Amino acid sequence: MSYYDIDAILTDAEKIPCTFQLDVPDLGYLDNTPTQTLKTGSRIALPLWLAEMLAIASSSGDLDEQGKSFVTFDLPPALGNDVVQALKADPRAVPLRDQSAHFYGLATHMMDLSEEQELATVLRKTYVTRATEIALHARKVGGVGHHGKSTADEGSNLGVGGAGEEFLRGLDEWERKLFRKAHDGAKAGKEWMENVKKH
Amino acid sequence: MALPLPPGLTHAEVAFLAEMEMVTIVPRQRLESMDLLSGQTPPLRPPHRAQLPLWLALLLKKQRRANIVPPPWLHPASLSEIIHRETKENPQTFSPPPPPPAHANPHDPGHARRLADADTILSPPFQPSCTASAPAGYLPYHWLEVAEALLAHAGDDMAAPAGEVRSLLRDLVEVRAAKMRSSTSVLGGAENGLMELTGVGAIELAESRAFVLGVVDGVRKIGAGAEAARREDEEQGGGIHDDDGSDDDMGI
Repeated sequence: MSYYDIDAILTDAEKIPCTFQLDVPDLGYLDNTPTQTLKTGSRIALPLWLAEMLAIASSSGDLDEQGKSFVTFDLPPALGNDVVQALKADPRAVPLRDQSAHFYGLATHMMDLSEEQELATVLRKTYVTRATEIALHARKVGGVGHHGKSTADEGSNLGVGGAGEEFLRGLDEWERKLFRKAHDGAKAGKEWMENVKKH
Repeated sequence: MALPLPPGLTHAEVAFLAEMEMVTIVPRQRLESMDLLSGQTPPLRPPHRAQLPLWLALLLKKQRRANIVPPPWLHPASLSEIIHRETKENPQTFSPPPPPPAHANPHDPGHARRLADADTILSPPFQPSCTASAPAGYLPYHWLEVAEALLAHAGDDMAAPAGEVRSLLRDLVEVRAAKMRSSTSVLGGAENGLMELTGVGAIELAESRAFVLGVVDGVRKIGAGAEAARREDEEQGGGIHDDDGSDDDMGI
């Protein structure tokens, strides 16, 4: 992941639910109680980068609080149990983008922070299953020929529409990139084939 | 980021390379041997067949100085056999690449032997003139490029009407493209990280390279955490060292 990777930066901005483990004075406005102390145990959604810092760093104040991290975090709702169950049932039916535009980025980041063996397995299966579907749509979608070919030439467009568009709208950023790659490949192939005659 | 081109060769580049493949021609005019970078061309004497690089053969064909003999694998019967094999017999795998060229042994007549010495490189891109000498029923590495070029410029030399060959080729392309798409699904299993791509042609690779690499890279990223944990366990436990850690250096 590059330093300038905009997707990585946006992934870091995703909110995840955190629970504060200690009182923080004057931070109450985060919890809609301005000018008050933020109590231990308040649950607040923090951006991933901040939550990560606070969860890893530990306070070095009083003796009894030493070694305790500032916050603990849970899995975001996008990776919650119901989503995982739905993915197990049918990966193709879940619009991942509705969960998070950077679903896989968020998921891999969360898996770095906490060991989630089962999640990794489910995600892998999901990604691969959806990739096949993406490739199928990438080949069909869009009139590849620029110069208004006859409709007979684009006969393979059948089946796109309703369900296909629905599926494509639910792709997260990783999958969109994948779609783009597959589509560019298919397009280049078609263009090359049309150009063979001209040389 | 700085490079606008994706890794690997583009279609045009692959097609350009394919023009180095040898094809058989029947000359209609005499032509003396020429010095080319790749060596001398055989002198052309009209009724005798000769092997020339595809680009030169196409040039002579356009000037009506030669006819091109379609390679055996481009015959409709061969193509339909391959389609049958790809769809019915082995719906999962690609049909195998052509076998290495056979050599007859003069001391042992009747028994041809495959060339498989240690110092001969016989993987597809380096196989010498694999397109012209590939037997029927096998697809050489540059099959689609050569077939398209021949159909476009030497359609009248085909063994069957060009339209028939073309439609068979289209079928084959579709069948194999579908296989290429579904071939990534084997990566979904927990332990299986292997895709079998033996026999895939150069132009098909150019088309699907970015997609396949994208899928593999995604699977790698998703499994990165578990992989790191497993490595740590291994190093702490048995002390078995992966001395090279080549997975990290591959930079897919």
